[in-house]
Amino acid sequence: MSVAERLLIGRLKDRDEDAFGEIVRLYGDKVFNLVYRMLGSRAEADDIAQEVFITVFKTIDTFRGEAKFSTWLLRIAANQSKNRLKYLARRATDPEGLEGGGALDVAAAPHSMPLSGQVDGPDVLAEAAELDSLLQRGIAELDEEQRLLVILRDVEEMSYDEIGEVTGLPEGTIKSRLHRARMALKEWLDRHTR
Amino acid sequence: MDHEQAAELFSDFVDGSIAPRDKAALEQHLSACIQCRTNLESFRRAVGSLGKLKHGAPPGFLPEIQQQIYKRSRGRFFSRRWKLFGRIPFEWVSLATIIAMLIYYIAMLHGTPGGVKPAP
Repeated sequence: MSVAERLLIGRLKDRDEDAFGEIVRLYGDKVFNLVYRMLGSRAEADDIAQEVFITVFKTIDTFRGEAKFSTWLLRIAANQSKNRLKYLARRATDPEGLEGGGALDVAAAPHSMPLSGQVDGPDVLAEAAELDSLLQRGIAELDEEQRLLVILRDVEEMSYDEIGEVTGLPEGTIKSRLHRARMALKEWLDRHTR
Repeated sequence: MDHEQAAELFSDFVDGSIAPRDKAALEQHLSACIQCRTNLESFRRAVGSLGKLKHGAPPGFLPEIQQQIYKRSRGRFFSRRWKLFGRIPFEWVSLATIIAMLIYYIAMLHGTPGGVKPAP
């Protein structure tokens, strides 16, 4: 952990509101993206990502600095996403689990806000939105553990060590589960792009 | 090496973490197997596409969180009023009060017409 990060965490432990704002600005996109990819719904992601930061504000005293702050934060995000998925699965009345608040709103992906500041033409945007939607539906087909691993490794581009800190899984397990998830996603894309 | 064994190595191959011996065996198999080459290509495409799935937090994300904390803490945190008064150091408040009292005292002394009249 860098000195600047340690100071920032120290200020957050003193409940410095500016430090909290800085944390949200630094990690908001990452947390939101993780939660959104896990849940597949922007409305759900908005609620849960907010809860993640509220939890951080409440429980920052339990952060001992043994792990990186970002992995500690993403562990909270992953756990809250999994809990939400369980809740939505219990609440779901239709077999697809796509009704109500947990709706998978990937069809609305063209209106999403990409992080890149680059402005592309309509064709490129439509194609990107279609791919985004397709991949999101493919991710939703995976079980929650596989989903998390694919997101952490291939969407967030984290190292196996960092993924181990977030999930608590040994590297060998991560690799084998990730491989199965990637293969399932490849098969799904093959079926839906032919 | 058969197709299944080849496919088992795709992740390590794409990640660049494959052992040299496995890499050589896989490349040898790929050179002779068009089916596995196609499969590897679509595997690589699937994994590569995931890196483009970036979605930023919506506008107003931070103020909404601050508002939630304000509500749940019953105004203890993220209250503007609290922030305004909470941030003025008490030393400055005390000093300002003393100065104000001094000014008032001096004004009272000089403000009395003719000053304090001696008793006849």
